[in-house]
Amino acid sequence: MITAALLLWLAFQNVSPEGAQHMQAGVDAYKQGKLDVAILEFRKATTSDPSLAEAYLDLGEVLLDTKDYPGAIAAFKRALELNPELDAAHLQLGYALLTQGYAEEAIPHLERVHALEALGIAQMEAGHYEAAIANLSAALAKHPGNPDLLYYLGHASGLLSKQTIDALMSAYPNSARSHQAMGENYYVIRQYPQAEKEYMAALQQRPDMPDLHMELGLVYAGAAKWDQAEGAFRAETKLQPGSAEAAYRLGSALLQEGKGSEARAELERADKLQPDMPETLYSLGKAASLEGNAALAEKAWTHLLTIEKDTSLAAQAHFGLAAIYRKQGKVEKAKQEMQEFHKFESKIPPLRTE
Amino acid sequence: MFDVKALRGVDFILQNSPTRKKFLIETMPGGLALFDYNNDGLLDIFFVNGGRITEDLHVPENFERSDPRYWNRLYRQNRDGSFTDVTQAAGLASVGNGNYGIAVAVGDYNNDGYPDLFVSNYGKNVLYHNNGDGTFTDVTAKAGVAGGGWSGSSGFFDYDNDGHLDLFVTRYMEWDADHNKICGGAWKTYCPPGEFPRTTNLLYHNRGDGTFEDVSERSGIAAKKGRALGCAFADYDDDGFTDIFVSNDGMQQYLYHNKGDGTFEEVALDSGTALTEDGKAISGMGAVFQDYDNDGRPDIIVTVLPRQLFTLYHNEGGGMFTYQSLETGLGGLTSGSSGWGMSLEDFDNDGWKDLFAAQSHVLDNVQDIDSSLQYKMLPFLALNHKGHFELAETGVTTPIAARGAAFGDINNDGWMDVVIATLGGPPVLLLNRGGANHWLTITLEGTRSNRDGYGARVRLNGQTRFATATAGYSCANDKRLHFGLGDARTAQIEVLWPSGTLQTLKDVPADQFLKIREPEHP
Repeated sequence: MITAALLLWLAFQNVSPEGAQHMQAGVDAYKQGKLDVAILEFRKATTSDPSLAEAYLDLGEVLLDTKDYPGAIAAFKRALELNPELDAAHLQLGYALLTQGYAEEAIPHLERVHALEALGIAQMEAGHYEAAIANLSAALAKHPGNPDLLYYLGHASGLLSKQTIDALMSAYPNSARSHQAMGENYYVIRQYPQAEKEYMAALQQRPDMPDLHMELGLVYAGAAKWDQAEGAFRAETKLQPGSAEAAYRLGSALLQEGKGSEARAELERADKLQPDMPETLYSLGKAASLEGNAALAEKAWTHLLTIEKDTSLAAQAHFGLAAIYRKQGKVEKAKQEMQEFHKFESKIPPLRTE
Repeated sequence: MFDVKALRGVDFILQNSPTRKKFLIETMPGGLALFDYNNDGLLDIFFVNGGRITEDLHVPENFERSDPRYWNRLYRQNRDGSFTDVTQAAGLASVGNGNYGIAVAVGDYNNDGYPDLFVSNYGKNVLYHNNGDGTFTDVTAKAGVAGGGWSGSSGFFDYDNDGHLDLFVTRYMEWDADHNKICGGAWKTYCPPGEFPRTTNLLYHNRGDGTFEDVSERSGIAAKKGRALGCAFADYDDDGFTDIFVSNDGMQQYLYHNKGDGTFEEVALDSGTALTEDGKAISGMGAVFQDYDNDGRPDIIVTVLPRQLFTLYHNEGGGMFTYQSLETGLGGLTSGSSGWGMSLEDFDNDGWKDLFAAQSHVLDNVQDIDSSLQYKMLPFLALNHKGHFELAETGVTTPIAARGAAFGDINNDGWMDVVIATLGGPPVLLLNRGGANHWLTITLEGTRSNRDGYGARVRLNGQTRFATATAGYSCANDKRLHFGLGDARTAQIEVLWPSGTLQTLKDVPADQFLKIREPEHP
């Protein structure tokens, strides 16, 4: 209630003695936690000095504390009628309106006082996603890592994405991009046959559009159709020979099919295109192991462990190294690797079953 | 490969009784046994039934097993290939209302020449002694093998080589009707095993006088809790003592090394049989412990749920295994598979053991959650081409909710057949169409070793089988050892009996059922 104390001092400049007395009594009661008494005193102040905007502001703030949002909103609005320049009233009114779901109405008040976080949320609630993202990003820059801001920014970005895609599909329902967007939606909810259908429709129109084959490959991979995934990823690597991800995905599919040599070649290519990617290095180790090339597997996993120390991939690399060393009869080294594996074993995600 | 045939005279329906309450046991039964209970040379079939479940099921559960619809069933095979229901006459009708049936094991525990039955249940387990006159007697109380909780796949084996079959019983989890859960949010699905506490497996030592001693604690078997669904036996390190592999659901697998002194040590992590090559746990369902690549050492294959790969641990010797699902081609064939009962059998008699698995997802509404998955599936068959697996057609064209699968030569034509148990439905018989290759089927008769010869290592023309009736999920296979010979017309046979006796037979003619009796004197 710092605002109340500060405004109290300002208010005394033009307030009647009776009004000042009630204001002081209200502040005292508030400090003692006697909210009912504070409300009564601030109401008396508004009666004795009906043009005293600060009295309405203080009254509104106490009402906010008692969760009487309609009462608080009425008080803040009256305060602003009496003094439109009262920024504290704009801020509190913006918060109160937002809390009650009147996001659109809250926006101008929050804008005026540059309350970026609340403004961003209000804009998101009101469907002004781009503005919301801008303000939430600015707020996040001031408070890096704030979980609430991260959540709202992510949520607003998602809503903007959906809005944009909706607009796309509404305007061009049969376009390749619309089919792609539908494919993405189906993929997310694991409706793989429908996703495949949409991607195939998109590819029929624009077979050379980047990423379509890759996304179709991911659908096949999700459904564990590895031969079809291989075909799709291979098509993407032809379209984008410089894409490390396409090479990695193709290598991973080949690995699943047990084609160790081809997988290793593709994963080595991915590693050259974008070195030091832990996922690529891990899969490269697996491909080498599949080929029986323990030296290359050891090299890939050891290198991975210089990049990642305590992740699931690191744990899996330790597990792979232990298997190599066990097979080579290096019992102590295998034991050490298993000890490292056990440290981070819990980070390995469980296998999916559905 | 197979013709789908009706089992004439078999009217069995596996009553798993699915409810909206999703009691986990509903999706787990399906044991069956192929065995010759009356020694007439024809395989008979024993089916384990589930029981009646209602949505108001509470502890103590009543599965109404006295109602004939929920009986286990024994069908005697007749000379014309048809079957006759002999359940009641054999004394196998009553199993106890508190017992929901899961699995069956077969072994001649008293060495009298007649195979006995052990039925494992959620509830109490039952040991039936085969009286040799077509009837069985419930000897559970005398034998002391009732156990309790949720028992599953079981098997007879002789862990101390004393000539008497001991009994291993897997248990799945700590569960009862009052502690059931429903998962999947709005989907309402059966819960994954991690929702329930782990439990211990059971090991019973056969005293040789018709009674067993629970040695689960003393042997070290109970030292580790798990969520076991399958078990398989073989001597993986060639030390003369049979070891145990246990497939656990949703956690690491267990390999119990038999130390030869009556105790076991769980060595899966150190031997490379605990996890995938990525260090991930699997949903271990059925398990088989046989030599798929004819290198003379028993390997391990585990059936799992979709998005995982059937797991193949190759025995490298020296007590070490390597994960080789991808190298063998099995991985690429099974990423969409949901396997249960399975076995390595040489279906085309080419001298290489093929892999057959009964399939169906554990969730009966999985398609609502992921439209690329189905509850009912076709069985899986991969033919073994010198250690590399390639997909083959089974002949089954209608998806089924399969669970247990038992393997044997039903019609004694020298070609391995399959019987599959299906939830809520009749069993499916896959009769091998046969071909031109030669074969040899061996019945072991132990004298100093256990009479069934379980645990014997039989080598034949470069192939190896480890004698057991236990494999896959909840089932007992034809105990006869079947070998495909390709174009060979004779066989060189070497039998290493559990007693340690090594017996060789030379130039044995192909295409016959051969009985090998263990020499009474070494």
